[in-house]
Amino acid sequence: MTRIDTIAATSTAPGPGAVAVLRMSGNAAHAIASGLIESGGLPGAGRSAVRWLRDPARGERLDQAVVTVYAGPRSYTGEDLVELSGHGGPLAPQLLLEACLAGGARLAEPGEFTRRAYLNGKLDLVQAEAVLDLVEGRSPALHRAALNHLDRRLSMRLTDLRARVVGLEALLVQHIDFPDEDEPPVPLERIIDAGAAVVADLEQLLATAPEGELLRDGAVTVLAGPPNSGKSTLFNALLGAERAIVTPVPGTTRDAIEARVAIGGYPFLLVDTAGIRSEADEVERMGIEVAERYLAGADLILLCMDPEDGVHDIALTDLVGSISAPVIPLLTKSDLRQSSGRSLPALAGLDGVLPPIDVSAHTGHGLDELVAALPRLVFSGLVTASADVVLLTRRRHRHGVNTALAEVRAFGQALADGVPAEVASTHLRPAETALEGLLGVIQQDEVLDAVFREFCIGK
Amino acid sequence: MRSRYDVIVVGAGHAGTEAAAASARLGASTLLLTPDLARTGQMSCNPAIGGVAKGVVAREVDALGGIMGRATDASRIHFRMLNRSRGPAVWGPRAQCDRGLYPRAVRRLLDGTEGLDLFQDLVTELLPADAGLHGVRTRGGIEFEAGAVVVTAGTFLRGRIHVGGAAGVAAGRAGEAPSLELAEALEARGLEVRRFKTGTPPRVDGRTVDFTRVEEQPGDPVNFRFSYYHEEPALEQRPCWITWTGAELNQVVHRNLERSALYGGEISGRGPRYCPSIEDKIVRFPEARRHQVFLEPEGLETSELYVNGLSTSLPHEVQLEFLRTVPGLEEVRMTKAGYAIEYDFFPPHQLRHTLEVRGLRGLFFAGQINGTTGYEEAAGQGLVAGANAALRVQDRDPWVLGRDQAYIGVMIDDLVTKGVDEPYRLFTSRAEFRLLLRQDNADRRLGVMARDLGLLTSEQAGALDRRLGRVRRVTRWFQETALRPEDVRATLAEADSSAVTTSTRAGELLKRPGVSARALAEAGGAPFLGSEDSGLEDVLAAVEVELKYEGYVRREAERAEVLKEQAAFELAEDLPYADFKSLSFEAREKLGRIRPGSLAQAGRIPGVSPADLQNLVMEVRRLAAAGV
Repeated sequence: MTRIDTIAATSTAPGPGAVAVLRMSGNAAHAIASGLIESGGLPGAGRSAVRWLRDPARGERLDQAVVTVYAGPRSYTGEDLVELSGHGGPLAPQLLLEACLAGGARLAEPGEFTRRAYLNGKLDLVQAEAVLDLVEGRSPALHRAALNHLDRRLSMRLTDLRARVVGLEALLVQHIDFPDEDEPPVPLERIIDAGAAVVADLEQLLATAPEGELLRDGAVTVLAGPPNSGKSTLFNALLGAERAIVTPVPGTTRDAIEARVAIGGYPFLLVDTAGIRSEADEVERMGIEVAERYLAGADLILLCMDPEDGVHDIALTDLVGSISAPVIPLLTKSDLRQSSGRSLPALAGLDGVLPPIDVSAHTGHGLDELVAALPRLVFSGLVTASADVVLLTRRRHRHGVNTALAEVRAFGQALADGVPAEVASTHLRPAETALEGLLGVIQQDEVLDAVFREFCIGK
Repeated sequence: MRSRYDVIVVGAGHAGTEAAAASARLGASTLLLTPDLARTGQMSCNPAIGGVAKGVVAREVDALGGIMGRATDASRIHFRMLNRSRGPAVWGPRAQCDRGLYPRAVRRLLDGTEGLDLFQDLVTELLPADAGLHGVRTRGGIEFEAGAVVVTAGTFLRGRIHVGGAAGVAAGRAGEAPSLELAEALEARGLEVRRFKTGTPPRVDGRTVDFTRVEEQPGDPVNFRFSYYHEEPALEQRPCWITWTGAELNQVVHRNLERSALYGGEISGRGPRYCPSIEDKIVRFPEARRHQVFLEPEGLETSELYVNGLSTSLPHEVQLEFLRTVPGLEEVRMTKAGYAIEYDFFPPHQLRHTLEVRGLRGLFFAGQINGTTGYEEAAGQGLVAGANAALRVQDRDPWVLGRDQAYIGVMIDDLVTKGVDEPYRLFTSRAEFRLLLRQDNADRRLGVMARDLGLLTSEQAGALDRRLGRVRRVTRWFQETALRPEDVRATLAEADSSAVTTSTRAGELLKRPGVSARALAEAGGAPFLGSEDSGLEDVLAAVEVELKYEGYVRREAERAEVLKEQAAFELAEDLPYADFKSLSFEAREKLGRIRPGSLAQAGRIPGVSPADLQNLVMEVRRLAAAGV
């Protein structure tokens, strides 16, 4: 058996807490844990017991913990694994970890337990990604999608689709490889129909990608508008409202700042951009170009304007006219005004421009209305809002399914065009490969297995 | 005193004869040892060569200068091109041979091979290699030595034959002694051994068959030859016959199932799913009301028929009983009972792509000993093993065929990469480049390589040149000749294709569904139609695939290129896979066992994922950087 070095880490978040779990995986995990136990010994595989743990060098007690023992391959990582559930807080977990490291374990790298689970075949690639999404926990909606993935629902869909592509090849091959058999060739129509069914299912799955990616990546929501229209203040106000689950990301350029935030349970990527106006100098112009790029890829635009400044800038109106995402005009600094300025003649006639909202980042006026509107605008009508549908949540998923779809579609088209089946089947192997790549596993020779299962062959 | 040769080949079946001939053609002094010279090139099962994929292999062997194609042409009494209703990409030539004439043709070709000696004796011992020389000792106590030994022992290693539920009889083939000592000698070298089984059907006296109750299956009236380089004289042709089993046969088999060696538990080895016994078919597919049975002629001078489809290990009286339930066979007399045979094989993951045993330099295995079935599979391996044995002795580079070059390459790569869990047979579905590996183009794929290696005689090399020139000429005719609308009107109408109004190149028209190369050549009065021989058929088939489905063929060729890049990333045989922690556990274990020669091969091992491959590249680079 291969030697696997032993890794250890505190799996719960640092800080005060009733319980902290230390996890240790690898060949020496059982031995190291056993060395810490004062008396009673290591529980059997699959069992837990309360034990006093002490520093084996100095004999000093470290903590009392529930010791749970798993024997590979029946563990999360597929290796021998021990979990020490001790007391939380700043000190106890740290002492336990240090004792494990002193016993011969090394500190696990981020994600290494899951990586080992994948390498040992306990999780496929899609599941491993889901674990990552669960841990990052960006939003309840993504959480639901990730749980589905962890439950192999996407994996099973992909496995099933791949098996059906293999099945198409088997239908063809049955008569190519065994032409003198009892059973006649499978009628071409049956193969074409089976291909069309696979195409339909791939299409259906692919159609979930925009939504899934939106859930994972967040709806790109760009704050745009003339300089000094209150964008940055509003940006901070929106982040502040949900401070606890904000993950600021450094801006990709010095002229735009991104931040992830969950609003109403849905993920958003807020982007604060440079102000846009016609008469800009060269440095400012660069910032504006960045802003324009964001606007082109935006899911939603918050157009900030101070009505006192007027909204007649031609550059701005042109821009709004040329983008496809919905635009919410925000009339900022409402605390400095007497009357509502909800009439914007310059923007009124444009497609996708929604009724303006009065907001004040300082008093909080209008923010509730805005926060309620955001998820509704981007996520309402999407399936995830209600059902536990399987979604493609990553570009990698979309790319693989798209490749498979293009190939199976081309296969069906070729058959319909009268191309002989053995020639058209050139499309099937790349489709299989694309789906295999998503799961990160390869199996082989299934075509013949499928043939022998279904047809009585042999002379 | 021992007699010394460069290469010794043990066994003179389809693997051994090709191995010996290839070795001698490469200029190595070669000895072919067999317990019975009269049975050289014997067809121990069905006297047929070819079929889908297998027929391509027979032609690949021929393209490489081998003997199988010529021997088939010289003894053929029935021929059909299987899959003719499909495109030429999957045509499978299949010949029924005269069981007596085929071995005679093989013997004639061996006798005509310079540098090849034949000797009759059973090899019982492999002597320990001494200073790079292997030795063998025969039952007669004679010793021979050579730089390389190719073992092609077929089903003889601890062979055991079963007819009915009795314990079985030790035998290599029906009526022949098994090889026990050699099996032990090989096992003693530390090789893993496993057991397979296979079966044959009974044979019957054609004079007792009622041919009015069976369906005649005539051969194709085509001018086909397996050999690219030689024209053997054609023989008189015979038909095959088709009949069907029915409910009555099912009952007979069911009633006697426990008397079958297969179902009575006498046989433990695994058999081929594609060649099931009638017991298997009836048990596994109970809903099938009938099964097809082919009555195939055994030769011109005998009325014996091979009952293809009724392989069995039931007692002979049960065989006779179920035979007589089949229409046309009501009064039949059995000439030979069917039987099952169990034998040793050496799981082929222990081999290199040259078919040399890993860790036993100079020892090569070919044929059924590697867990394959079929004459063609054996011949292809024999040729590769024999050639590499000679190359080994001559200190030349090893010779390996790629999966994109030949079905032989697909087969050997499958064997050494994936191993076998049932007797291995080739199918088109095993090849990822089906459109490239066709029966019409093996000479173009392999001929030049064979010539450069030294596998072709000067006569064969001359024939190769003429064939390659002709393909170029015919292809150019299609690419350059514009056909007038009035000349192709009838051809297009016949293919339900719309008429053209201006002169159009033949190659363009060929892309239309249903329009054949031959029809266009005839419509255009192509000059090459003057010489109607088997070579022209090949060329027209080739043009039809390569021009009609140009885009598809190109796409496969591109995919093959990607594979070549991966194949160029070589993996040393002694890589410490166990230490490669970034690889999955399963991948580490499998890579360590199979020890692939290249990244491409590693990627074909079941259980090695694309992520494993990426990490493998990193690990190998890290290792190289560390200067280990």
